Amino acid sequence: MRRINMKSKSFAFVAAGLTAVSAISLTLGSGGPASAAAPQVGRPAPNFKANDADGRVVTLSDFKGKTVVLEWNNPECPFVKKHYDTGNMQKTQAAALADGAVWLSINSSAPGKQGHMSGAEAKKVIADQKARPTAYLLDPKGVVGNGYNAKTTPHIYIINKAGALVYAGGIDDKPTKDKDDIKSARNHVLAALGELKAGKAVSVPTTRPYGCAVKYKDS
Amino acid sequence: MIRLLVWLVMMLGLLWLAPAALAQAPEQRHISTRFIAETDSPAAGSIVSLAIHMTPEPGWHGYWKNPGDSGMETTVKWTLPRGATAGPLEYPVPERLIVGGLMNYVYEGPYALLLKLKVPEGLAQGTSLPIRGKFDYLVCTREVCVPESADLALDLSVGAPGAPPARRAEFDVFRQALPKPLGSQARFQWSEGGFRLAIPLPASMAGEEPYFFPLTDGALDYAAEQKVSRSGDSLIVETQAGGQQPTSVEGVLRLRDGYGLLLTAQPGVISAGAGGSTGQGTSAILVALLGAVIGGLLLNIMPCVFPILSLKALSLARAGGDEASARKEALAYTAGAVLICLSLGAAVLALRAGGTSAGWAFQLQDPRVMLLLLLSVTAIALNLAGLFELPSVGIGSRLASTGGATGAFWTGVLAAFVATPCTGPFMAAALGAALLLPVPAALAVFAGLGLGLALPFLVLGFVPAARRRLPKPGPWMNRLRHVLSLPMFLTALGLAWVLGRQSGVDGMAIGLAAALALGLTLWWIGRRSGDGRGLLRLAPAAAAVAAGLLFVPLSNQGQATASTVAGEPFSEARLAALRAERRPVFAYFTADWCITCKVNEKGVLQREEVSRAFAKDNVAVLVGDWTGGDAAISRFLEAQGRSGVPLYIYYAPGKAPEILPQLLTVSRVVSLNSRGGST
Repeated sequence: MRRINMKSKSFAFVAAGLTAVSAISLTLGSGGPASAAAPQVGRPAPNFKANDADGRVVTLSDFKGKTVVLEWNNPECPFVKKHYDTGNMQKTQAAALADGAVWLSINSSAPGKQGHMSGAEAKKVIADQKARPTAYLLDPKGVVGNGYNAKTTPHIYIINKAGALVYAGGIDDKPTKDKDDIKSARNHVLAALGELKAGKAVSVPTTRPYGCAVKYKDS
Repeated sequence: MIRLLVWLVMMLGLLWLAPAALAQAPEQRHISTRFIAETDSPAAGSIVSLAIHMTPEPGWHGYWKNPGDSGMETTVKWTLPRGATAGPLEYPVPERLIVGGLMNYVYEGPYALLLKLKVPEGLAQGTSLPIRGKFDYLVCTREVCVPESADLALDLSVGAPGAPPARRAEFDVFRQALPKPLGSQARFQWSEGGFRLAIPLPASMAGEEPYFFPLTDGALDYAAEQKVSRSGDSLIVETQAGGQQPTSVEGVLRLRDGYGLLLTAQPGVISAGAGGSTGQGTSAILVALLGAVIGGLLLNIMPCVFPILSLKALSLARAGGDEASARKEALAYTAGAVLICLSLGAAVLALRAGGTSAGWAFQLQDPRVMLLLLLSVTAIALNLAGLFELPSVGIGSRLASTGGATGAFWTGVLAAFVATPCTGPFMAAALGAALLLPVPAALAVFAGLGLGLALPFLVLGFVPAARRRLPKPGPWMNRLRHVLSLPMFLTALGLAWVLGRQSGVDGMAIGLAAALALGLTLWWIGRRSGDGRGLLRLAPAAAAVAAGLLFVPLSNQGQATASTVAGEPFSEARLAALRAERRPVFAYFTADWCITCKVNEKGVLQREEVSRAFAKDNVAVLVGDWTGGDAAISRFLEAQGRSGVPLYIYYAPGKAPEILPQLLTVSRVVSLNSRGGST
């Protein structure tokens, strides 16, 4: 037998309640934890420094005045393979370079994690894939990756000639592993580069990246 | 030589193994999937539940609808029979997995994705229903991710309603794991500094380690820590904002393992960790406010308030043409009425904050409050009847121009306090709404009630024309006053009766004795009115009140159940049995986290009138408690086309069930029986 019953409320309770109401307005929490300064589209892109596959130091500021594409890469990730095995990424790289843009592939896989490579291994992968990045950067400590808040492979960022971040997100709008989807997908990178070349604003400045998690070192 | 031979054999072996390994690779999936229907022979036109039961290998995990910082959403491309449609995938409450600082929303053990398939109408029994789907999902370890595909295939055939018990039991387990829709709306505040979410949730539902799983992408930083606190009747989740300002935020609030609430939040203002907010749609607040003002206005013609108003009006008329003092009095009266409504509102909100959803009339549940009301109403009635005059409290007094404002203020206070017994029945809806509003808006509604109550007096004070329409003072005033004492005495009678219901015959006797003592004291004061020290003479009256308060029994053990609706647990079998007996049935479905449900229960279902009406017509009450997500109730709700609670259904014998609105009113519930024609 279920019965609804109501307890008596005493004056004391009401009085306590009134006190509670006034107390509520006094209990204020602080704001959230300090935000990691994630780069924001429309703001200057943070500068960074990393070694390329040949061990040379590459700095973002080296490419001042040029459009720069950052591509987070992990050659063993199935979603990265989707775009390299079909030649889609190479085609996109070629188009960017033809426009005078710079393409930096960045590998933030930590030692012991999937996709971590030495410079020599990286050069072999680039050669096998016929990939055409301006440079392939090794970021085993995840410094660049964390600085850009890179989450997936692939994850793409585009920096305009003035050094502002103008695009952050996925390579295209079909978040699947199916290679067939590439044909019908909107390639956000080609679209953004085309708009930049035409002197227009990037119409789709942020999208949701898809793919494997960047294999950062365990914190 | 031998070494070479061994080497050759090994190489051959490798050559033989390699293709086999390559061929195996695509087939070898890390999540095994099983695609099943609740029944293999669903009826034409029915909705059948399908499940994709996923079992990840140890160390592997599948993903929630929002996979988190990386991954992709699970998809199915259906190939269905003509006319059949498949609903969206429904996901159980997920778990968190942080790898390398990135958030993953996952399932590390077996889980089931559910969906609803609509079987086309008008198909002959035995018609085959081939269900095919290309199912794409992601499965990962902490190290690697593999997107996998499965071909889903299920051959159903059109049959009869119902499902085999074993299958049903299995699906009940699946359903239990789904988040329950919260029903009430949450609010969020997004800024570059942070993201805040206020979820209306009684304190009793606090849960262990609550966490908000966002379905809306980009609104908040997934990997950032979530700070959970309580503020008033809301659970506040604070975390870092994501990069995109959302227009609305959807997600699942996890309360404990495998148990969560599905909710949608609209933009609003949420002060950090505190409950105050003005984010609700302003139009909704305005409507509630208007309702409250009109409600307050209506209270003026209630028998318990009208005499007070008339008297004030008369005293104004008596005061003559002094505009300034009339206005001052009107304002003082308004202030009194608004203040008392506000403090009552604040008390209600404080109770709500304490996790108890109380109705407006909650104070009437306390016999001591009842006694206090009885005594004050009696005193007013005696005053109206001319037994005494009380110069310090401006009722019926000669209106001294100096004491006017103070007197008017106290009259306003009195009017509002005395009006409360009258508000309950027909104000429940507006007040229920007020209880669901954020604190400032709810207080505004309460203030509106007071304003409405004071409105006629304000008009009299500020529009001389209205005052001129008032009859000229004269001996008729005293006669009217005496006549007006009658409704007051009637109110006192009613209050005494309620007191009797609450605390039994003894309580009522104590109350009446206190009233008599008060009357005697007042008479004594009345005899000597005019000489000073009036307040001192009030001492015996105060003593009578105090004694009554001390001695009145707080509950009526003998009859405590009389004012509550007794229900029995809901089951479809019990419902069918009761209906077969041709008994009218009132079934309601509730949950501890459902604030609307609690408001309806306290404000309507627990009321005397309702239990009396139900008893009169022998209405059986079935209660479905969905707090734990009972699967049988989930099924029933689903069958009624509801995704959650509250749900109120009235079954009149031999008639189609009637689904009541989600915000109940006493009159609506009481009238069910008469309209139901159950005799």
